[in-house]
Amino acid sequence: MSENAANNNNNNTMEKNQICKDAIVSELQKKKVHLFYCLECEELARNIASESDHIALQSINWRSFADGFPNLFINNAHEIRGQHVAFLASFSSPAVIFEQISVIYLLPRLFVASFTLVLPFFPTGSFERMEEEGDVATAFTMARIVSNIPISRGGPTSVVIYDIHALQERFYFADQVLPLFETGIPLLTKRLQQLPETDKIIVAFPDDGAWKRFHKLLDQYPTVVCTKVREGDKRIVRLKEGNPAGCHVVIVDDLVQSGGTLIECQKVLAAHGAAKVSAYVTHGVFPKSSWERFTHKNNGSEEAFAYFWITDSCPQTVKSIGNKAPFEVLSLAGSIADALQI
Amino acid sequence: MAAISPATATTAASLSLPQFTSSSSSSSSSSPFSLSFKTATVGSRCVRCGVRSLENQSGHRSLDFLSNGDPISLINPNSSPISMAAASSESGSKCSKRVCLFHSDETRDLAERIVAQSDCIELRSINWKKFDDGFPNLFIQNAQGIRGQHVAFLASFSSPAVIFEQLSVIYALPKLFVSSFTLVLPFFPTGTSERMEDEGDVATAFTLARILSNIPASRGGPTSLVTFDIHALQERFYFGDTILPCFESGIPLLKSRLQALPDSDNISIAFPDDGAWKRFHKQLQHYPTIVCNKVRMGDKRIVRIKEGDAEGRHVVIVDDLVQSGGTLIECQKVLAAHGAAKISAYVTHGIFPKSSWKRFKLDTKGDPAEGFSYFWITDSCGLTVKEVMNKPPFEVLSLAGSIASALQV
Repeated sequence: MSENAANNNNNNTMEKNQICKDAIVSELQKKKVHLFYCLECEELARNIASESDHIALQSINWRSFADGFPNLFINNAHEIRGQHVAFLASFSSPAVIFEQISVIYLLPRLFVASFTLVLPFFPTGSFERMEEEGDVATAFTMARIVSNIPISRGGPTSVVIYDIHALQERFYFADQVLPLFETGIPLLTKRLQQLPETDKIIVAFPDDGAWKRFHKLLDQYPTVVCTKVREGDKRIVRLKEGNPAGCHVVIVDDLVQSGGTLIECQKVLAAHGAAKVSAYVTHGVFPKSSWERFTHKNNGSEEAFAYFWITDSCPQTVKSIGNKAPFEVLSLAGSIADALQI
Repeated sequence: MAAISPATATTAASLSLPQFTSSSSSSSSSSPFSLSFKTATVGSRCVRCGVRSLENQSGHRSLDFLSNGDPISLINPNSSPISMAAASSESGSKCSKRVCLFHSDETRDLAERIVAQSDCIELRSINWKKFDDGFPNLFIQNAQGIRGQHVAFLASFSSPAVIFEQLSVIYALPKLFVSSFTLVLPFFPTGTSERMEDEGDVATAFTLARILSNIPASRGGPTSLVTFDIHALQERFYFGDTILPCFESGIPLLKSRLQALPDSDNISIAFPDDGAWKRFHKQLQHYPTIVCNKVRMGDKRIVRIKEGDAEGRHVVIVDDLVQSGGTLIECQKVLAAHGAAKISAYVTHGIFPKSSWKRFKLDTKGDPAEGFSYFWITDSCGLTVKEVMNKPPFEVLSLAGSIASALQV
């Protein structure tokens, strides 16, 4: 072999070695995280752990005393000393807050290296203002409770939240916690790329609030913006900007409750000539099984929504809906596994 | 001045109070039996409070009739005959602090009783509604009207589900430019889960103390927290300096009640364990005491008498709270076996999950092994009070007077 060739070979080998070393170092720099979780979130927790070799599931005994107050035990508490620890929470109703908060307030004090609270859906998010003196903004109560998590050896607790309802809410948290605001939108864009190319996809926002929150993340698509207009006693959804004619319109919002807003939007879009209408919300809250309004009924009636995407931030909903068309669940597991490395 | 209804005499008898005539009232304090009424109209309900002073009694008993006619024995040990008469007269007495009292749904009855105790306390209201997703939709009425006022909130954390809605109000009130804020939480739940024996135990009492220590300060400084007979003496140190806990006791109500019993000179106090003795013996020093304890025999734990003599006595078992009632029943058996003539019980907090109060029967045949003569609880646990009202052996001693006084601190 000529000297040059030999040198080239050596250089190539050195480069490959360097790439390998970088990969090994970055693998080593990955944090091993011990993930605890509330009962409701078991499935999502398992999915998160299966996304990464660096996440180990831990367990808690969740029991109640006769008076209804929690009787809790954190298993293997000694093992988590010096380890990065996270807790996957779900405050799906006020009743389950106290038991989870009891664990959340204790874990940071067990000599862990760091503590992260993953709260995919931040409830009360829509009650975040006082319009009149006397209004009680429960979002602020929730932020205060979360801000009161004690610090650990890793400093302030990180709090991971997906698509918080109002952009201003990031400032409701005190400096004792480090909120990390993530979004489910990348899951949507990835899914949209899988749809047939013949679909002309445009994104619709049901109101200006949704446009403000999401338009920058979806600027690769043309947009339609709706708005609610007062006509006498009623509030009617109107098209404010954009043209849905002949397109597959995807209505995007952070959450859905009764579904009334989405249904109104769908009617207006269909009336303006949309070829297909779908919806995406990060958080399928759907109180009182309001998701039933959207399922495809096999009675020959036209299906209003082609697809309805939600994430698994609200585990109770995911359990009820299963795989019923038009619903598809996009999982936050991969995104959360990545967030735990921050 | 309202006259006493005929129902009064009957219910008074069932409470074993001395009989009094149904003649019309006089507000003169010179006669040994003076009766005056104060009527407070709260919303659509009318609360009438009868005040009676007896020269030879150290406490005052008043019968408080709620609009449904059920009596609750309402003892106010802090007031003297003259000030009570003055307070109940229409001209009103001087208040050291006027207080606006808000309350949760469950504590409405107790709040009304507190307001009836004092001209200085005014009832205020909150709209408690829920959104479809179960989260609270709350509105504090007349929020501007409490600016510059002393404000209090009467809470009851009877289950974890009702904590968040009350907490939202508790966190909001101090920031409405009030001149001071007091949280009255008569019963502090989770009190028995206050230690970590193994690493991994979760002491929920500390969680609750932390949550309450996080109440924002108001113009009056740290929030005052009024609570009765907290389970463990050490829990007073679980609260940070951002809150001023005020630890009260229901025992004075018991003492007044015991002094009114016909066999008040034959009473002994029994403590079911050393913990109860530590918490209460100093307040009950002038009674002979009996101390029980649990002794391990193989796999079982058996209640024994450690010290004291029950023979021929009316024994009153005293503890801070009752859950299933198992401990009290065990003590009852042991005391009866040791010759107690009558057995009664007092707990400040009648938690009684799953209606466990039904285990406690009235002693109708003079057999203390079969039943209790009296079972006193306070009105700290409103849900229980509704269930045991008018069901002997239960009698409810109201904290209203004690709370009304604490609000003047």
